[in-house]
Amino acid sequence: MPIVVNLDVMMAKRKMSLNELSEKVELTLSNLSILKTGKAKAIRFSTLEAICKVLECQPGDILEFVE
Amino acid sequence: MEIKIGTKQILKFLYILSWIIFIGVCIEAGGFIFNTFYAMVLNPMGAENYWNGLDLSSLYNFDQGYFLVITFYMIIVAVLRALIFYLFIRLLHGKKLDLSHPFTIEFRNFISLVAYIALGIGLFSKMGMQYSAWLSTKGVTMPDLEYLRLGGPDVWFFMGVILLVISQIFKRGIEMQNDNELTI
Repeated sequence: MPIVVNLDVMMAKRKMSLNELSEKVELTLSNLSILKTGKAKAIRFSTLEAICKVLECQPGDILEFVE
Repeated sequence: MEIKIGTKQILKFLYILSWIIFIGVCIEAGGFIFNTFYAMVLNPMGAENYWNGLDLSSLYNFDQGYFLVITFYMIIVAVLRALIFYLFIRLLHGKKLDLSHPFTIEFRNFISLVAYIALGIGLFSKMGMQYSAWLSTKGVTMPDLEYLRLGGPDVWFFMGVILLVISQIFKRGIEMQNDNELTI
């Protein structure tokens, strides 16, 4: 898929575990895991907003377009 | 006192109703098979009171082969009708119908299968109907199509076509449901 999710990179930079992120953004572990492993087909703006707020980053830090 | 009838109750009712109808059509199909065998092999008088007062003795006396063909059509239609209800019971019994995620491949396959069976019932009913009409031109006293359980083939065709369309809609529904499940 051309859109790569770099969630694990940002999580490592902020030293945050998946469990912690899941609690803070109020998403289930399974959903976050789907996102992290690149299996997600789409992401809601509200979810992206919550993740960016918690990880203190921009959407471009999490989502990357690769040819 | 307020009585709430939810989807669960409706499905439970349909499940019980399906069982009742399934048993009924099985008895009918079994009766046709047994009475055909009985009339052909054991006692020709069996054709006189074939099923529920149906008298096929005129046809039997005219030609046993023709009798066998008509009863073959009747048996096929009865068996296919039983098969539809069996599939429905199996679907409900196995609790494969999850209303929180209704668009499943199993349910879509069920709809497609029932559609093809309905088309099959329509086809055999139509063939039986035309065969019965042809026998009437030969001078055989044929009972009404309703007694032969071969009436209404156009209704079965209509049902089959509608179900095929619904199965295509379900195919799209499955895709949309999968996309929705993978939308975070």
